[in-house]
Amino acid sequence: MPPNEFDRQLLNRLVANRTSRRRFIGGGAAAAAALAMGGSFLAACSSDNKSATGGTTSTQEGPASGTLRISNWPLYMADGFVADFQKATGITVDYKEDLNDNEQWFAKVKEPLSRKQDIGADLAVPTTFMAVRLHGLGWLNDLGDIPNKKNIRQDLLEASVDPGRKFSAPYMSGMVGLAYNKAATKRDITKIDDLWDPAFKGRVSLFSDAQDGLGMIMMSQGNSIENSSMETVQKAIDLVKEQKEKGQIRRFTGNDYADDLASGNVAIAQAYSGDVVQLQADNPDLHFVVPESGGTTFVDTMVIPYTTQNQKAAEAWINYVYDRPNYAKLIAHTQYVPVLSDMTDELNKIDPKLASNPLINPSKETLAKLKGWPALTDEQTKQYNDAYAAVTGG
Amino acid sequence: MAGAATSNRQRSKIAPYLMILPALVYLGIFFVVPFYSLARTSLSSSGGSVYLPTLDFNWDFANYFEAFSHYQDQIIRSFVYATTATLLCLLLAFPLAYVIAFKAGRYKNLILGLVILPFFVTFLIRTIAWKTILADDGWVVGALGSIGLLPSEGRLLSTSWAVIGGLTYNWIIFMILPLYVSLEKIDPRLIEASKDLYSTNRRSFTKVILPLAMPGVLAGSLLVFIPASGDFINADYLGSTQTTMIGNVIQKQFLVVKDYPAAAALSMVLMLIILVGVLLYTRALGTEDLV
Repeated sequence: MPPNEFDRQLLNRLVANRTSRRRFIGGGAAAAAALAMGGSFLAACSSDNKSATGGTTSTQEGPASGTLRISNWPLYMADGFVADFQKATGITVDYKEDLNDNEQWFAKVKEPLSRKQDIGADLAVPTTFMAVRLHGLGWLNDLGDIPNKKNIRQDLLEASVDPGRKFSAPYMSGMVGLAYNKAATKRDITKIDDLWDPAFKGRVSLFSDAQDGLGMIMMSQGNSIENSSMETVQKAIDLVKEQKEKGQIRRFTGNDYADDLASGNVAIAQAYSGDVVQLQADNPDLHFVVPESGGTTFVDTMVIPYTTQNQKAAEAWINYVYDRPNYAKLIAHTQYVPVLSDMTDELNKIDPKLASNPLINPSKETLAKLKGWPALTDEQTKQYNDAYAAVTGG
Repeated sequence: MAGAATSNRQRSKIAPYLMILPALVYLGIFFVVPFYSLARTSLSSSGGSVYLPTLDFNWDFANYFEAFSHYQDQIIRSFVYATTATLLCLLLAFPLAYVIAFKAGRYKNLILGLVILPFFVTFLIRTIAWKTILADDGWVVGALGSIGLLPSEGRLLSTSWAVIGGLTYNWIIFMILPLYVSLEKIDPRLIEASKDLYSTNRRSFTKVILPLAMPGVLAGSLLVFIPASGDFINADYLGSTQTTMIGNVIQKQFLVVKDYPAAAALSMVLMLIILVGVLLYTRALGTEDLV
């Protein structure tokens, strides 16, 4: 077994019939798109009403109580977890799985947030770059006293995007790499160049998200994502454009690459680690690999919008999640890489195989090949996104 | 007596206006206002911060030139796809509508019901179902491959044909129903009369049936062509990176790039082209009234 492949049978057993959270049917995505479009449209039509109806931030003293409204990604939660939290704290949770796509979610919430109007959530779980964006716009509250914050992995606690984790609390982290269908490729896939193999013409899918899509390609060109520039990004975009014009690339996908991969329409796809576990349960020919030249990581983070109506309960939730035995239950469900340190003992208590799962506990060699995007300026993000969208959207 | 008659007459004058009032109010709120907003956005330029740009209305026609020059491929492709889909719909729907109108007898309602039945399932689900049917490893591709009928890409899904097929499939009901309505209205005695005058079947079709069905052809093709040219779902699910339609570009500009002026300008360009096309088409077919 190549060092970067994961034990399929073990993974199959672990996932049983769960669907990972990044996998969702396109219908939901399109409906969300329609909603988001409708929302911003109506907002754009309304007059310049700048009167803020917000300012309802809870400042109550004493223990947290009341209702906590959470927006999270679909299937990113363990069974019974919310109920246990309610029992332990007396807080009522209104848990919604209405986060499907960072940019589309942003398109939906930016108008109300810019007017300091409630967005129907006291805590949300966007990906790091989105959390940084919201923070930059001044739309996030700082996290108050969260005793269990000390359990966060050191590298995440000190991450340059939010040193000391003042406004964003990591929820799950995962790997962005390549997934392939061995029945279609007939060989092992190890590097980015395999994507451009003429044998797979029209059977490759890439992420339309600039960071997830371009990161590993930049690394394969010998460039670093840690100090990116428009030139290095453009070089990766030019390569994608060339391959697109050749007909190599079948689709630019969001999280909906999974179906094409499983059904064999796509032979190699850029993929998120957790998804492949689920897909392997139905299709043992699927494999996940971090390319030789390296892959990227993503971290989804819990944030408290400044329109929250229950700051204390949100903090209590984060504290509860950061309790190691509780967090182990989440990991056992989502199969992603823990954001807390020293999880081995707690994971072993649930299932000894969890801690030895390379998808949950990546090997040193794998970790060495993974890089995370640093915080980019707004202008950089917009430049990169727009330049890539010109290729993926046209 | 005279007074009462006057007030009756006055009331009957006002009544039509009162009756169209709700529709006018509705159109005012849900069509005129958004349209004005769209037109205004399309002529604005965005400035200010990156994520909260302010739109300044300054007759920025450059948006239109950029929209057209950057995306003319997608615009042309959209109209080629939509035209092909409309023609396919017409070819498929005419015989069916004819059979329902003239030959179905007591099965008329049953067949009409069957035509409408698939549309109880949502548009998205039906489109995604085609992904499964046309999958590379599916039986359709296998069967077509074995008789050598596959397009040059060696697959069906993610080709132009899949997108055109999806458009045809999704909008054909809007061709069948108007055609059926206009064919149904034809008095069969006119056809009998043409036969009595020694016309061949073909001549009764071209001289009697087709001209009388023209309003249905016109209405049907507009109902298919207009939504098909702005569609993005079919190209999204059934297409590839090389079958992008203008609807996909607009969707991406609105939701991902969030360049509202560019997106609005593209929407206006799409609308204008459709409008001009429809006017020319209506004039060419010479039909004054729709249906």
